[in-house]
Amino acid sequence: MNAEYALTAEPARPSTLARPYVRPREPVAVAQTSPKVVIRDARFFYKKFEALKGINLVLHDKRVTAFIGPSGCGKSTLLRILNRIYELYPGQRATGEVLVDGQNILDPAQDLNLLRAKIGMVFQKPTPFPMSIYDNVAFGIRLYAHLAPSQLDERVEEALRRAALWDEVKDKLRQSGLSLSGGQQQRLCIARAIAVKPEILLLDEPASALDPISTQRIEELIAELKSDYCIALVTHNMQQAARSSDYTAFMYLGELVEFSETETIFTHPKERRTEDYITGRFG
Amino acid sequence: MTLYGRRRANNAVYLALSWAATGIGLAILFFILGTLLRNGIPALRPGLFVENTPPPGSRGGLGNAIYGSVVMTALATLVGTPVGVLTGTYLAEFGSASRVASAVRFINDVLLSAPSIIIGLFVYGLLVVPLHHFSAWAGSVALAIIVVPVVVRTTEDMLRLVPATLREAAVALGAPQWKVIVLVAYRAALQGMLTGVMLAVARIAGETAPLLFTSLNNQFWSVNMDGPMANLPVVIFQFALSPYADWQELAWGGAMLITLAILALNILARTLASWSNRSP
Amino acid sequence: MDVSLGLPTRRRIDRQRLLDAAFRGTTQAFAIGVLVLLGGIMVALAVGALPAFRAFGWGFLTSEAWNPVKENFGASPAIYGTLMTSLIAMLIGIPLALGIAVFLTELCPPFLRRPIGTLIELLAAIPSIIYGVWGLFVLAPFLQLTVQPALVSTLGELPVIGALFAGPPLGLGVLTAGVILGFMVLPFIASVMRDVFATVPPMLRESAYGVGATTAEVVRHIVLPYTRVGVIGGIMLGLGRALGETMAVTFVIGNAHRIKTSLLAPGTTISATLANEFTEAVGDLYTSSLFALGFILFVITFIVLAAAKLMLLRLDQRAAK
Repeated sequence: MNAEYALTAEPARPSTLARPYVRPREPVAVAQTSPKVVIRDARFFYKKFEALKGINLVLHDKRVTAFIGPSGCGKSTLLRILNRIYELYPGQRATGEVLVDGQNILDPAQDLNLLRAKIGMVFQKPTPFPMSIYDNVAFGIRLYAHLAPSQLDERVEEALRRAALWDEVKDKLRQSGLSLSGGQQQRLCIARAIAVKPEILLLDEPASALDPISTQRIEELIAELKSDYCIALVTHNMQQAARSSDYTAFMYLGELVEFSETETIFTHPKERRTEDYITGRFG
Repeated sequence: MTLYGRRRANNAVYLALSWAATGIGLAILFFILGTLLRNGIPALRPGLFVENTPPPGSRGGLGNAIYGSVVMTALATLVGTPVGVLTGTYLAEFGSASRVASAVRFINDVLLSAPSIIIGLFVYGLLVVPLHHFSAWAGSVALAIIVVPVVVRTTEDMLRLVPATLREAAVALGAPQWKVIVLVAYRAALQGMLTGVMLAVARIAGETAPLLFTSLNNQFWSVNMDGPMANLPVVIFQFALSPYADWQELAWGGAMLITLAILALNILARTLASWSNRSP
Repeated sequence: MDVSLGLPTRRRIDRQRLLDAAFRGTTQAFAIGVLVLLGGIMVALAVGALPAFRAFGWGFLTSEAWNPVKENFGASPAIYGTLMTSLIAMLIGIPLALGIAVFLTELCPPFLRRPIGTLIELLAAIPSIIYGVWGLFVLAPFLQLTVQPALVSTLGELPVIGALFAGPPLGLGVLTAGVILGFMVLPFIASVMRDVFATVPPMLRESAYGVGATTAEVVRHIVLPYTRVGVIGGIMLGLGRALGETMAVTFVIGNAHRIKTSLLAPGTTISATLANEFTEAVGDLYTSSLFALGFILFVITFIVLAAAKLMLLRLDQRAAK
């Protein structure tokens, strides 16, 4: 992969090479969106190796922000900073500021369980717990509240409906979560994540392990969920980013190269590197 | 002979020896099983399980011995398994970098192969001497000490196999660490841990040496845990070395029962293990 | 639409943290308990053995006496028997185990690999006392009638090693005990060897076959050198087990507190002595001498097992690279 990209003085001109199709959409007035997450000069270290080099961006509420870039660019790493899941592993640390609703979550005083209650995460490979479908969805709920069985039933049903899984599993709630197909398992994981009513959803390549039909359903789901959550979507599939997101961030080798509205990134990107990536010249 | 010919002959000899070695190994197995069945089946009568060990020269059964073995094995498993599981959990979940954990792991594996008669000696000094009598409690404790290292090893190995993403998914929901372990990791590793327990049971079911000076033996039916209690291995020991035909026949019967039970447990445990590997 | 489930209260968070600490503390306590257990065993044995060591001093290790009436005890016959039977067990067990391990990894048709492997593991699962009973009633008479007379008339006639096979073929004795012990440890060593052989990278073996090496040559020049440390570790683990084996040996060793050159003579081992005499030992010095034997056995097996474990650890580290 070439690494010598001089920053040109003029913006890259739209090229005639194929680029992902972007659905035209209503231009969003800045006043209508509110920044949910503000990331300021975030850096991440695996022992001595600096994996993220000073990231600055904003995630808007009720919008989907996609992160694209070649393998190893740090997009998953950035996602994992947001719920501080890296704390499980010694030798990994983050510096800088990440403000969620104005509060810096990288502060050592931040309570991690409280943070993770607000932020849901769905992983690349579906990870249903080895328990029934019902218990999978109820797992997170039970962590935080003692609900009467009927109330719990309602919450589970609501989460499964929102994840577009209810009709397929309503007769087999007591069966193991592992008995579902790959696409269903992933929707189960989404249901599990939204059952605790988080405010932010982190989706780390949620459809990469799934077949095209399941992928489409997940993307439809993201479009619906966006009206209630602030969604960060990491994807290596540019078409998916173009289809599903409102904002896109292009990352390369641990740096944020460009961040702006999806339509802008894919039609007239400002950076040469962005243009080269989305037209398939590398990566 | 050419060099190549020599090499081929060499190879043939070594391979033949390999086949022979395997043949010998399998032959020993079948020979032992054959002998057990041939001498043990005549001892099989309903009375074997119901009647107690007789004085020399009269008929009887192994009822009290079977009861004692079952009770002490069960108790040892009930006590040793939680201890082993918790220790194995510490090694797998909290002990990746700690030096204490490395020491525990090392010592555990040494204890795994330690002579069981030494364990018996230890429990004798610990429980029999101060209380001035042999007891089934002491026997159970000695067996439990043998169970623990086995369960520790399998628990740690099985917990380490639980995928990191599964744990991360639970943590991402906000679950505290103990819940991640108890509600998610244990459930994922359950089948493997169960296999480990079964193998531990199979191991202590046949152990004689630790019982020799802890629970001793008892001619009569006894449910009193505070006193000596009959058990199959020690009865077999006593009866097989005796000159009485009745006793020797019972010894063979007992030997056959123990061996069949242990082999069945082993096969069951391994089938369980391979099932869990095949499920999606 | 309600915004949130209701975030956990401060109290709930604190309680979770307390439970986390309690869980971790509990598991740690039990783990340390394992170390305490080992320490306890050593202390208990040492305390029990102290009177004997004080009465006999270092001479205890070399004295051949074993007189309960006169209260004069020595560990030498038992130590000799333990070491001798284990040596014979290794001489028999190692080649057989190697043969089985090579068979399972190189020669066995794939569909038979799992069943035969399981059968070998079942051999390891058979309890010690069963080997003892079988040894007493089947193997000993067999050896007495066939192998031992043959040894006496052939090797027994030779100048130096003839002394090893002198005397009447009794069936019971050091040799028989060694053979039974060998049969007992063989499946165990074979299992470890097989696991260790499996760590050889397939490419290494394939490249050897690729230049036309025979199977025997691949094993001798590629597999064994690569797994050398693990194989030795496995052998030492087997040795550790053989040293401590009780019931199989007790049945067939003849239980004589004597050191004789002939392998056909009866003898004793530490564990056999303990098994036979402990419950009938009268007198504090007698009991203490038996504890002393136990202490010596524990020290010997601990050293062997610890060395074995260290070797296997090194192999693990290497395989991880």
